[in-house]
Amino acid sequence: MNRRMFFFFLFSFLLTVYLFNDLVGDWGRLSGGWDNLVVFFDESLWPPNWAVLEAQSYPVCEARFDIFCSVAWLGMLETIKIAFVATAIGFVVALPLSVLAASNLSPLAVAIPARVLLAGMRSLPAIIWAVLFVIIFGVGTLAGIVAMSFYTVGYLGKLQFESMEGIKNAPLESGKAMGMNRAEIAWLIAIPESANHLLSHLLFMFEYNVRHGTVIGLVGAGGVGLYLDTYRKMGQYDKMVALLIVIFLVVLVIDFVSMALRSTVNEEGDVERPTWSSIFLPAAISSALHPTPMNATNEEE
Amino acid sequence: MDEVIAHLHDVSIGYDEVLIKDINIEISAGDVIAVLGPSGIGKTTLLRTIAGLVRPLTGEIELAVDSRGGLGYIPQRLGLVGNLTVQANVEMGARVRTSTWRPVFFPLPQEFMKDVKEAMSDLGIDHLAQQPVRILSGGQQRRVATAKSVAQRPKILLADEFLGELDDDNVDVVMQTVKKTIAAQHSALIMVEHHEELAKEVANRIWRISDHRLIEELER
Repeated sequence: MNRRMFFFFLFSFLLTVYLFNDLVGDWGRLSGGWDNLVVFFDESLWPPNWAVLEAQSYPVCEARFDIFCSVAWLGMLETIKIAFVATAIGFVVALPLSVLAASNLSPLAVAIPARVLLAGMRSLPAIIWAVLFVIIFGVGTLAGIVAMSFYTVGYLGKLQFESMEGIKNAPLESGKAMGMNRAEIAWLIAIPESANHLLSHLLFMFEYNVRHGTVIGLVGAGGVGLYLDTYRKMGQYDKMVALLIVIFLVVLVIDFVSMALRSTVNEEGDVERPTWSSIFLPAAISSALHPTPMNATNEEE
Repeated sequence: MDEVIAHLHDVSIGYDEVLIKDINIEISAGDVIAVLGPSGIGKTTLLRTIAGLVRPLTGEIELAVDSRGGLGYIPQRLGLVGNLTVQANVEMGARVRTSTWRPVFFPLPQEFMKDVKEAMSDLGIDHLAQQPVRILSGGQQRRVATAKSVAQRPKILLADEFLGELDDDNVDVVMQTVKKTIAAQHSALIMVEHHEELAKEVANRIWRISDHRLIEELER
């Protein structure tokens, strides 16, 4: 590390310490914090109340297994449904917008406004859109779907137009020289050329939306978050913890499935096919258990 | 007299600096022109300028061809869509012969599909029709790029080293098919070629680029 780098890191470190101290202000507030947490954990959080996996008393459960009428199942299923619909709507809307935003497919006079529109949709997190749409549509899943779709368009659109801008120039030039129109160049060349990335982004977005589906429920936009918020307001923290554990496990499974699917559509070496240990264990331990071909080669060297 | 399909008047080409200057040349129906010269001299830039992808620095290029489908271009990297099948790539050539207002989702009319199948058959790639292009060998991909241009039936075909990676038999197949198309359509082929002997064998005009000038060497 040269002197300039050393001073840069030292300056960054000192700046972080200063800002942290400035933001916290009174460190005395921390005294007793740990004890409070221990008491809260012992008396309210632990053990988790697994009643969330039992059938609700109303409406009467007609399913074969009680769990299908439980808060955890219904809430999680609703979150996944919201995420699925929002991702599908977001993809369909984002695709033409990303063609307009890609500088190699559209003139700058079109690309720049399209990018501004996408940036605008992306600049507000899904939860803020959710607050807005809960005001418009009322509490429920519709607000959640619309809010998540908005955010998805902004986020997915950016990923998509960057993928399209990264495609090889030769097919585009050949198409332009032949006299293909813009729609043909986009539909027949740019989209198929970037298809692997588009599919990968789509799966990633679904996974992301399932995770965020939990958050938007907190402001009344449907899904499992709505139950979380209800338990928090009622002080039923043990049920909240049980629900959080369920969410964690479901998100883990969806992450795994999504990564496995994405690894099949990505270029070689882009995303490695995951193993269970790579999800549960720290990276160092996981890579020791499952050396990748690249690691193995390095070891041989 | 043969129909003139392109005319370059006092054209200079290049990017930041001039690569070739004072080009005054006509291209007529039936011409098979080989462009020769060392690497980096401006051969590809000449093709890209005629294709309308690069503006000439000075002068004017007149093309007596339709803006849609009148000009075919096989770049050095072939310009195929690797994720699409061979047939879908060849169909792109035929598609530019249809109206620009034809919705992109609509399949090609039957008569155009017949041309697509014929082009694939002439180039010996009909058995690969449903294979994605990315899995084909370099030589097979060159034949796909040629079939796409044959199905397009352009008035001028610009081909940048499209005979590279082909063995002698395939060079014959490709050149025969291209020449058949040129004769049938009264069109012209301008090809950049590194192998001088091959160029002299297949072309009836040779343009050599040397010292920033384009010199017509052979006209027969």
